[in-house]
Amino acid sequence: MGALKNIILVENNFLLRSGIEGLILELPGLLLKEVFDGKEKNLYRKLINKKPDVIIIDPNALGHNFISIISKLQEEAGIMLIGLLGSDCPENISSRFKNHLPLEGNKHLLLQKLREACGKDAVYPTNKKTQADSRLLSAREIDILREVVKGLTNQDIADNLFLSIHTVMTHRKNISRKLSIKTVSGLMVYALMNNIVDINEMG
Amino acid sequence: MLIVREMKLADVIHHDYNLVPVINRFDISLGFGDGTIREICEERDVNVEFFLSILNTFHDVQYFPKDYLKSFPVSLIINYLRKAHSYYSDEKIPEIKLLISKLIRLSGKNNKTLNLISNFFNDYCNEFAAHLLREETIVYPYVLSLEKALAEKNDNGLVDMELMKYSITTYEADHEDVEEKLFDMKSLMIKYLPLESSDNLMFEEISYSLLRELFVLEKELSEHSRIEDLILVPKVEGMEKHYKSGR
Ligand SMILES: [Fe+2]
Ligand SMILES: [Fe+2]
Repeated sequence: MGALKNIILVENNFLLRSGIEGLILELPGLLLKEVFDGKEKNLYRKLINKKPDVIIIDPNALGHNFISIISKLQEEAGIMLIGLLGSDCPENISSRFKNHLPLEGNKHLLLQKLREACGKDAVYPTNKKTQADSRLLSAREIDILREVVKGLTNQDIADNLFLSIHTVMTHRKNISRKLSIKTVSGLMVYALMNNIVDINEMG
Repeated sequence: MLIVREMKLADVIHHDYNLVPVINRFDISLGFGDGTIREICEERDVNVEFFLSILNTFHDVQYFPKDYLKSFPVSLIINYLRKAHSYYSDEKIPEIKLLISKLIRLSGKNNKTLNLISNFFNDYCNEFAAHLLREETIVYPYVLSLEKALAEKNDNGLVDMELMKYSITTYEADHEDVEEKLFDMKSLMIKYLPLESSDNLMFEEISYSLLRELFVLEKELSEHSRIEDLILVPKVEGMEKHYKSGR
Protein backbone atom coordinates (compact mmCIF):
# COMPACT_ATOMS: atom_id res chain seq x y z
CA MET A 1 0.00 0.00 0.00
CA GLY A 2 1.17 3.50 -0.71
CA ALA A 3 -0.67 5.61 1.82
CA LEU A 4 1.21 7.77 4.30
CA LYS A 5 3.04 5.90 7.04
CA ASN A 6 3.11 7.49 10.45
CA ILE A 7 6.41 7.37 12.23
CA ILE A 8 7.25 8.05 15.85
CA LEU A 9 10.79 8.67 16.94
CA VAL A 10 12.15 8.00 20.43
CA GLU A 11 15.43 9.84 20.70
CA ASN A 12 16.88 12.14 23.34
CA ASN A 13 20.00 13.28 21.54
CA PHE A 14 19.29 16.54 19.71
CA LEU A 15 21.73 15.98 16.87
CA LEU A 16 20.51 12.47 16.16
CA ARG A 17 16.95 13.63 16.36
CA SER A 18 17.51 16.33 13.76
CA GLY A 19 19.37 13.87 11.56
CA ILE A 20 16.56 11.33 11.58
CA GLU A 21 14.00 14.05 10.97
CA GLY A 22 16.02 15.10 7.93
CA LEU A 23 16.07 11.56 6.55
CA ILE A 24 12.33 11.13 6.99
CA LEU A 25 11.69 14.42 5.21
CA GLU A 26 13.52 13.08 2.17
CA LEU A 27 11.19 10.16 1.77
CA PRO A 28 7.76 11.05 0.45
CA GLY A 29 5.14 8.80 1.96
CA LEU A 30 6.64 8.93 5.43
CA LEU A 31 5.39 11.33 8.03
CA LEU A 32 7.09 12.01 11.35
CA LYS A 33 4.15 12.29 13.70
CA GLU A 34 5.85 12.90 17.00
CA VAL A 35 9.19 12.79 18.76
CA PHE A 36 9.61 11.56 22.33
CA ASP A 37 12.80 11.83 24.32
CA GLY A 38 12.20 8.54 26.11
CA LYS A 39 11.80 9.90 29.63
CA GLU A 40 8.03 10.62 29.42
CA LYS A 41 5.71 9.09 32.00
CA ASN A 42 3.53 6.25 30.66
CA LEU A 43 5.53 6.30 27.45
CA TYR A 44 4.17 2.98 26.24
CA ARG A 45 0.57 4.25 26.38
CA LYS A 46 1.51 7.48 24.69
CA LEU A 47 3.23 5.63 21.86
CA ILE A 48 0.30 3.32 21.28
CA ASN A 49 -2.24 6.14 21.40
CA LYS A 50 -0.60 7.78 18.41
CA LYS A 51 -1.35 4.68 16.33
CA PRO A 52 2.01 4.67 14.59
CA ASP A 53 2.93 2.38 11.70
CA VAL A 54 6.60 2.61 12.55
CA ILE A 55 8.52 3.44 15.73
CA ILE A 56 12.19 4.29 15.52
CA ILE A 57 13.89 3.76 18.86
CA ASP A 58 17.28 4.64 20.22
CA PRO A 59 17.73 2.16 23.11
CA ASN A 60 19.88 4.72 24.96
CA ALA A 61 16.93 7.10 25.15
CA LEU A 62 14.88 4.54 27.10
CA GLY A 63 17.67 3.72 29.56
CA HIS A 64 16.68 1.07 32.10
CA ASN A 65 13.06 1.08 30.85
CA PHE A 66 14.19 -0.35 27.54
CA ILE A 67 13.36 -4.01 28.17
CA SER A 68 9.94 -3.42 29.68
CA ILE A 69 8.82 -1.04 26.91
CA ILE A 70 10.25 -2.96 24.01
CA SER A 71 8.72 -6.22 25.23
CA LYS A 72 5.25 -4.71 25.22
CA LEU A 73 5.79 -3.07 21.84
CA GLN A 74 6.94 -6.36 20.33
CA GLU A 75 3.54 -7.79 21.08
CA GLU A 76 1.72 -5.05 19.19
CA ALA A 77 0.80 -6.33 15.76
CA GLY A 78 1.09 -3.86 12.93
CA ILE A 79 3.84 -1.70 14.39
CA MET A 80 7.23 -1.93 12.76
CA LEU A 81 10.07 -1.37 15.23
CA ILE A 82 13.33 0.05 13.98
CA GLY A 83 16.41 0.24 16.21
CA LEU A 84 18.86 3.07 15.92
CA LEU A 85 21.95 1.11 16.77
CA GLY A 86 25.69 1.60 16.94
CA SER A 87 27.99 -1.22 15.81
CA ASP A 88 28.89 -1.87 19.47
CA CYS A 89 25.29 -2.52 20.41
CA PRO A 90 25.02 -5.80 22.36
CA GLU A 91 23.20 -8.70 20.77
CA ASN A 92 20.51 -8.92 23.47
CA ILE A 93 19.42 -5.41 22.52
CA SER A 94 19.83 -5.46 18.74
CA SER A 95 17.95 -8.76 18.50
CA ARG A 96 14.84 -6.99 19.75
CA PHE A 97 14.50 -5.12 16.47
CA LYS A 98 13.48 -6.54 13.15
CA ASN A 99 15.10 -3.62 11.36
CA HIS A 100 18.22 -1.64 12.11
CA LEU A 101 19.41 1.84 11.23
CA PRO A 102 23.18 1.72 11.69
CA LEU A 103 24.50 4.87 13.37
CA GLU A 104 27.67 4.66 11.31
CA GLY A 105 25.83 4.38 7.98
CA ASN A 106 26.13 7.02 5.27
CA LYS A 107 23.11 8.88 3.99
CA HIS A 108 22.45 6.63 1.04
CA LEU A 109 22.54 3.50 3.16
CA LEU A 110 20.32 5.01 5.85
CA LEU A 111 17.70 6.12 3.35
CA GLN A 112 17.71 2.68 1.80
CA LYS A 113 17.35 0.95 5.16
CA LEU A 114 14.58 3.26 6.23
CA ARG A 115 12.73 2.69 2.99
CA GLU A 116 13.05 -1.07 3.29
CA ALA A 117 11.98 -1.07 6.91
CA CYS A 118 8.86 0.95 6.23
CA GLY A 119 7.90 -1.36 3.41
CA LYS A 120 9.24 -0.52 -0.03
CA ASP A 121 5.80 0.18 -1.36
CA ALA A 122 5.22 2.79 1.28
CA VAL A 123 7.66 5.12 -0.38
CA TYR A 124 7.91 4.27 -4.03
CA PRO A 125 5.20 1.85 -5.11
CA THR A 126 7.02 -0.84 -7.03
CA ASN A 127 4.46 -2.78 -8.97
CA LYS A 128 1.55 -1.42 -10.92
CA LYS A 129 -1.06 -3.31 -8.99
CA THR A 130 -0.23 -1.98 -5.53
CA GLN A 131 0.10 1.46 -6.99
CA ALA A 132 -3.42 1.41 -8.38
CA ASP A 133 -4.82 -0.09 -5.18
CA SER A 134 -3.39 2.60 -3.04
CA ARG A 135 -4.66 5.38 -5.26
CA LEU A 136 -8.14 4.42 -6.16
CA LEU A 137 -11.00 4.25 -3.74
CA SER A 138 -12.46 0.81 -3.18
CA ALA A 139 -16.14 0.20 -3.88
CA ARG A 140 -16.80 0.30 -0.15
CA GLU A 141 -14.98 3.59 0.22
CA ILE A 142 -17.02 5.07 -2.61
CA ASP A 143 -20.22 4.02 -0.80
CA ILE A 144 -18.98 5.76 2.30
CA LEU A 145 -17.91 8.85 0.39
CA ARG A 146 -21.37 9.13 -1.13
CA GLU A 147 -22.89 9.21 2.34
CA VAL A 148 -20.27 11.57 3.76
CA VAL A 149 -20.91 14.27 1.19
CA LYS A 150 -24.62 14.10 1.90
CA GLY A 151 -23.62 15.53 5.25
CA LEU A 152 -24.49 12.43 7.26
CA THR A 153 -22.83 11.76 10.61
CA ASN A 154 -20.66 8.72 11.20
CA GLN A 155 -23.48 7.17 13.19
CA ASP A 156 -26.00 7.66 10.35
CA ILE A 157 -23.58 6.18 7.85
CA ALA A 158 -22.94 3.21 10.09
CA ASP A 159 -26.69 2.58 10.40
CA ASN A 160 -27.36 2.98 6.68
CA LEU A 161 -24.58 0.65 5.58
CA PHE A 162 -24.78 -1.82 8.48
CA LEU A 163 -21.25 -1.12 9.62
CA SER A 164 -19.77 -0.34 12.99
CA ILE A 165 -18.99 3.29 13.65
CA HIS A 166 -15.35 2.33 14.06
CA THR A 167 -15.26 0.84 10.56
CA VAL A 168 -16.84 3.96 9.13
CA MET A 169 -14.18 6.10 10.79
CA THR A 170 -11.40 3.90 9.46
CA HIS A 171 -12.79 4.14 5.95
CA ARG A 172 -13.06 7.90 6.23
CA LYS A 173 -9.47 8.15 7.34
CA ASN A 174 -8.33 6.04 4.40
CA ILE A 175 -10.38 8.09 1.95
CA SER A 176 -8.85 11.34 3.16
CA ARG A 177 -5.41 9.82 3.05
CA LYS A 178 -5.76 8.50 -0.47
CA LEU A 179 -7.21 11.70 -1.86
CA SER A 180 -5.27 14.16 0.35
CA ILE A 181 -8.56 15.89 1.02
CA LYS A 182 -9.49 16.58 4.61
CA THR A 183 -12.75 18.48 4.65
CA VAL A 184 -16.27 17.38 3.76
CA SER A 185 -16.66 20.18 1.23
CA GLY A 186 -13.37 19.18 -0.39
CA LEU A 187 -14.64 15.61 -0.66
CA MET A 188 -17.82 16.95 -2.14
CA VAL A 189 -15.90 18.62 -4.97
CA TYR A 190 -14.07 15.37 -5.61
CA ALA A 191 -17.30 13.40 -5.66
CA LEU A 192 -18.98 15.82 -8.06
CA MET A 193 -15.92 15.95 -10.29
CA ASN A 194 -15.86 12.21 -10.62
CA ASN A 195 -19.61 11.81 -10.95
CA ILE A 196 -19.78 9.81 -7.74
CA VAL A 197 -22.73 11.96 -6.80
CA ASP A 198 -25.03 14.10 -8.86
CA ILE A 199 -25.46 17.79 -8.11
CA ASN A 200 -29.24 17.21 -7.98
CA GLU A 201 -28.82 14.65 -5.21
CA MET A 202 -27.40 17.32 -2.99
CA GLY A 203 -29.87 19.16 -0.82
CA MET B 1 17.47 30.29 13.89
CA LEU B 2 16.46 32.38 16.89
CA ILE B 3 16.02 35.98 15.80
CA VAL B 4 17.48 38.44 18.31
CA ARG B 5 17.65 42.22 18.57
CA GLU B 6 21.28 42.67 17.57
CA MET B 7 20.87 40.88 14.23
CA LYS B 8 20.74 42.95 11.09
CA LEU B 9 17.21 42.91 9.76
CA ALA B 10 18.57 42.49 6.22
CA ASP B 11 20.31 39.26 7.21
CA VAL B 12 17.12 37.95 8.74
CA ILE B 13 15.19 38.62 5.52
CA HIS B 14 17.92 36.93 3.49
CA HIS B 15 17.43 33.92 5.69
CA ASP B 16 13.63 33.87 5.48
CA TYR B 17 11.98 36.08 2.89
CA ASN B 18 8.51 34.94 4.02
CA LEU B 19 8.93 37.53 6.75
CA VAL B 20 8.57 40.44 4.31
CA PRO B 21 4.78 40.78 4.66
CA VAL B 22 5.23 40.46 8.41
CA ILE B 23 7.62 43.41 8.71
CA ASN B 24 5.34 45.37 6.38
CA ARG B 25 2.66 45.07 9.05
CA PHE B 26 4.96 47.06 11.32
CA ASP B 27 5.27 49.70 8.61
CA ILE B 28 8.76 48.59 7.71
CA SER B 29 9.16 48.31 3.94
CA LEU B 30 12.00 47.01 1.83
CA GLY B 31 14.81 49.49 1.51
CA PHE B 32 15.01 49.74 5.29
CA GLY B 33 18.79 50.04 5.21
CA ASP B 34 21.60 48.44 7.12
CA GLY B 35 20.39 48.62 10.71
CA THR B 36 20.00 45.99 13.37
CA ILE B 37 16.52 45.02 14.48
CA ARG B 38 16.90 47.11 17.61
CA GLU B 39 17.96 50.20 15.66
CA ILE B 40 15.24 49.91 13.07
CA CYS B 41 12.57 49.40 15.74
CA GLU B 42 13.79 52.36 17.77
CA GLU B 43 13.77 54.63 14.72
CA ARG B 44 10.15 53.77 14.08
CA ASP B 45 8.91 53.44 17.60
CA VAL B 46 8.14 49.75 17.22
CA ASN B 47 8.12 47.62 20.39
CA VAL B 48 11.19 45.40 19.93
CA GLU B 49 10.06 42.58 22.21
CA PHE B 50 6.79 42.29 20.39
CA PHE B 51 8.42 42.54 16.97
CA LEU B 52 10.84 39.75 17.86
CA SER B 53 8.19 37.44 19.21
CA ILE B 54 6.11 37.84 16.05
CA LEU B 55 9.11 37.28 13.78
CA ASN B 56 10.19 34.20 15.70
CA THR B 57 6.72 32.71 15.82
CA PHE B 58 6.46 33.10 12.06
CA HIS B 59 9.92 31.85 11.37
CA ASP B 60 10.12 28.78 13.57
CA VAL B 61 7.26 26.39 14.28
CA GLN B 62 9.06 25.19 17.40
CA TYR B 63 9.34 28.66 18.88
CA PHE B 64 7.22 29.34 21.91
CA PRO B 65 7.11 33.01 22.84
CA LYS B 66 6.49 32.74 26.57
CA ASP B 67 9.46 34.80 27.70
CA TYR B 68 8.25 37.91 25.97
CA LEU B 69 4.63 37.66 26.93
CA LYS B 70 4.54 40.02 29.83
CA SER B 71 6.42 42.86 28.31
CA PHE B 72 4.03 44.52 25.89
CA PRO B 73 0.47 45.86 25.92
CA VAL B 74 -2.18 43.62 24.41
CA SER B 75 -3.40 46.43 22.16
CA LEU B 76 -0.19 45.94 20.15
CA ILE B 77 -1.16 42.36 19.42
CA ILE B 78 -4.67 43.33 18.42
CA ASN B 79 -3.38 46.09 16.20
CA TYR B 80 -1.06 43.63 14.48
CA LEU B 81 -3.75 40.97 14.05
CA ARG B 82 -6.15 43.49 12.53
CA LYS B 83 -3.56 44.57 10.01
CA ALA B 84 -2.95 40.97 9.10
CA HIS B 85 -6.66 40.42 8.61
CA SER B 86 -6.99 43.26 6.18
CA TYR B 87 -3.94 42.01 4.31
CA TYR B 88 -5.64 38.64 3.84
CA SER B 89 -9.07 39.89 2.94
CA ASP B 90 -8.14 43.00 0.95
CA GLU B 91 -5.08 41.70 -0.86
CA LYS B 92 -4.53 37.95 -0.80
CA ILE B 93 -8.09 36.71 -1.30
CA PRO B 94 -8.83 39.13 -4.17
CA GLU B 95 -5.55 38.11 -5.83
CA ILE B 96 -6.57 34.48 -5.69
CA LYS B 97 -10.04 35.26 -6.97
CA LEU B 98 -8.55 37.18 -9.86
CA LEU B 99 -6.33 34.24 -10.82
CA ILE B 100 -9.28 31.85 -10.70
CA SER B 101 -11.36 34.11 -12.91
CA LYS B 102 -8.48 34.34 -15.37
CA LEU B 103 -8.37 30.55 -15.53
CA ILE B 104 -12.10 30.38 -16.11
CA ARG B 105 -11.86 32.92 -18.89
CA LEU B 106 -9.05 30.93 -20.53
CA SER B 107 -10.83 27.63 -20.41
CA GLY B 108 -14.31 28.72 -21.38
CA LYS B 109 -17.28 28.30 -19.11
CA ASN B 110 -17.45 24.53 -19.44
CA ASN B 111 -14.54 23.38 -17.35
CA LYS B 112 -16.55 21.53 -14.73
CA THR B 113 -13.65 20.95 -12.37
CA LEU B 114 -12.61 24.56 -12.47
CA ASN B 115 -16.14 25.72 -11.76
CA LEU B 116 -16.35 23.38 -8.81
CA ILE B 117 -13.02 24.59 -7.46
CA SER B 118 -14.10 28.17 -7.92
CA ASN B 119 -17.34 27.57 -5.98
CA PHE B 120 -15.37 25.76 -3.33
CA PHE B 121 -13.12 28.78 -2.92
CA ASN B 122 -16.05 31.19 -2.79
CA ASP B 123 -17.61 29.15 0.01
CA TYR B 124 -14.30 29.18 1.75
CA CYS B 125 -14.08 32.97 1.49
CA ASN B 126 -17.47 33.33 3.18
CA GLU B 127 -16.42 31.10 6.04
CA PHE B 128 -13.11 32.89 6.33
CA ALA B 129 -14.82 36.29 6.41
CA ALA B 130 -17.12 35.04 9.18
CA HIS B 131 -14.09 33.86 11.15
CA LEU B 132 -12.41 37.26 10.88
CA LEU B 133 -15.63 39.10 11.66
CA ARG B 134 -16.15 37.15 14.86
CA GLU B 135 -12.65 37.97 16.00
CA GLU B 136 -12.93 41.62 15.10
CA THR B 137 -16.39 42.25 16.52
CA ILE B 138 -16.39 40.02 19.59
CA VAL B 139 -12.97 38.84 20.65
CA TYR B 140 -10.74 41.83 19.99
CA PRO B 141 -13.16 44.42 21.47
CA TYR B 142 -13.48 42.23 24.54
CA VAL B 143 -9.72 42.11 24.94
CA LEU B 144 -9.39 45.85 24.54
CA SER B 145 -12.12 46.60 27.08
CA LEU B 146 -10.46 44.19 29.46
CA GLU B 147 -7.20 46.03 29.07
CA LYS B 148 -8.94 49.32 29.74
CA ALA B 149 -10.94 47.95 32.67
CA LEU B 150 -7.81 46.50 34.18
CA ALA B 151 -6.18 49.92 34.18
CA GLU B 152 -9.27 51.52 35.72
CA LYS B 153 -9.71 48.84 38.33
CA ASN B 154 -6.31 49.71 39.61
CA ASP B 155 -7.69 53.20 40.21
CA ASN B 156 -11.13 52.61 41.69
CA GLY B 157 -11.35 48.90 42.50
CA LEU B 158 -14.65 48.47 40.60
CA VAL B 159 -15.33 45.52 38.31
CA ASP B 160 -17.32 45.70 35.08
CA MET B 161 -19.90 42.90 35.24
CA GLU B 162 -20.28 42.77 31.45
CA LEU B 163 -16.69 41.67 31.15
CA MET B 164 -17.20 38.83 33.59
CA LYS B 165 -19.60 37.12 31.19
CA TYR B 166 -17.07 36.32 28.50
CA SER B 167 -13.78 34.50 28.71
CA ILE B 168 -10.98 34.03 26.23
CA THR B 169 -11.13 30.28 26.87
CA THR B 170 -14.40 30.23 24.90
CA TYR B 171 -12.52 31.63 21.96
CA GLU B 172 -9.64 29.23 22.43
CA ALA B 173 -11.98 26.25 22.54
CA ASP B 174 -13.71 26.94 19.24
CA HIS B 175 -11.04 28.77 17.33
CA GLU B 176 -11.33 26.74 14.17
CA ASP B 177 -8.68 25.77 11.68
CA VAL B 178 -8.88 28.09 8.67
CA GLU B 179 -6.17 26.51 6.53
CA GLU B 180 -7.60 23.03 6.08
CA LYS B 181 -9.69 23.93 3.07
CA LEU B 182 -6.78 25.62 1.38
CA PHE B 183 -4.92 22.35 1.68
CA ASP B 184 -7.83 20.56 0.02
CA MET B 185 -7.94 23.13 -2.73
CA LYS B 186 -4.27 22.54 -3.44
CA SER B 187 -4.86 18.79 -3.62
CA LEU B 188 -7.75 19.27 -6.03
CA MET B 189 -5.64 21.50 -8.25
CA ILE B 190 -2.50 19.41 -8.13
CA LYS B 191 -4.22 16.12 -8.80
CA TYR B 192 -7.38 16.79 -10.74
CA LEU B 193 -7.38 20.09 -12.59
CA PRO B 194 -7.60 19.24 -16.29
CA LEU B 195 -5.80 21.33 -18.88
CA GLU B 196 -8.65 22.51 -21.06
CA SER B 197 -7.87 25.79 -22.65
CA SER B 198 -7.29 27.71 -25.84
CA ASP B 199 -3.90 28.81 -24.54
CA ASN B 200 -2.30 25.99 -22.60
CA LEU B 201 0.91 27.81 -21.86
CA MET B 202 -0.91 30.70 -20.29
CA PHE B 203 -3.22 28.34 -18.43
CA GLU B 204 -0.27 26.50 -16.92
CA GLU B 205 1.42 29.74 -15.98
CA ILE B 206 -1.64 31.04 -14.15
CA SER B 207 -2.34 27.70 -12.46
CA TYR B 208 1.18 27.82 -11.12
CA SER B 209 0.71 31.35 -9.76
CA LEU B 210 -2.56 30.31 -8.20
CA LEU B 211 -1.01 27.28 -6.56
CA ARG B 212 1.85 29.40 -5.24
CA GLU B 213 -0.60 31.91 -3.75
CA LEU B 214 -2.46 29.08 -2.02
CA PHE B 215 0.75 27.73 -0.51
CA VAL B 216 1.71 31.17 0.73
CA LEU B 217 -1.70 31.95 2.17
CA GLU B 218 -1.96 28.57 3.85
CA LYS B 219 1.37 29.09 5.57
CA GLU B 220 0.52 32.67 6.54
CA LEU B 221 -2.77 31.62 8.06
CA SER B 222 -1.31 28.83 10.08
CA GLU B 223 1.28 31.23 11.55
CA HIS B 224 -1.46 33.75 12.16
CA SER B 225 -3.48 31.22 14.14
CA ARG B 226 -0.37 30.32 16.12
CA ILE B 227 0.02 33.97 17.08
CA GLU B 228 -3.59 34.03 18.23
CA ASP B 229 -3.28 30.77 20.13
CA LEU B 230 0.21 31.19 21.56
CA ILE B 231 0.52 34.93 22.12
CA LEU B 232 -2.96 36.42 22.37
CA VAL B 233 -4.71 33.70 24.36
CA PRO B 234 -2.10 33.24 27.13
CA LYS B 235 -1.66 36.98 27.42
CA VAL B 236 -5.40 37.50 27.89
CA GLU B 237 -5.64 34.54 30.25
CA GLY B 238 -3.12 36.28 32.46
CA MET B 239 -5.11 39.51 32.31
CA GLU B 240 -8.35 37.73 33.18
CA LYS B 241 -6.79 36.05 36.16
CA HIS B 242 -5.65 39.40 37.34
CA TYR B 243 -8.99 41.07 36.78
CA LYS B 244 -11.46 38.42 37.82
CA SER B 245 -9.76 36.95 40.82
CA GLY B 246 -8.90 40.06 42.73
CA ARG B 247 -12.39 41.31 43.51
FE1 LIG C 1 -7.35 36.15 13.12
FE1 LIG D 1 -8.26 33.14 13.89
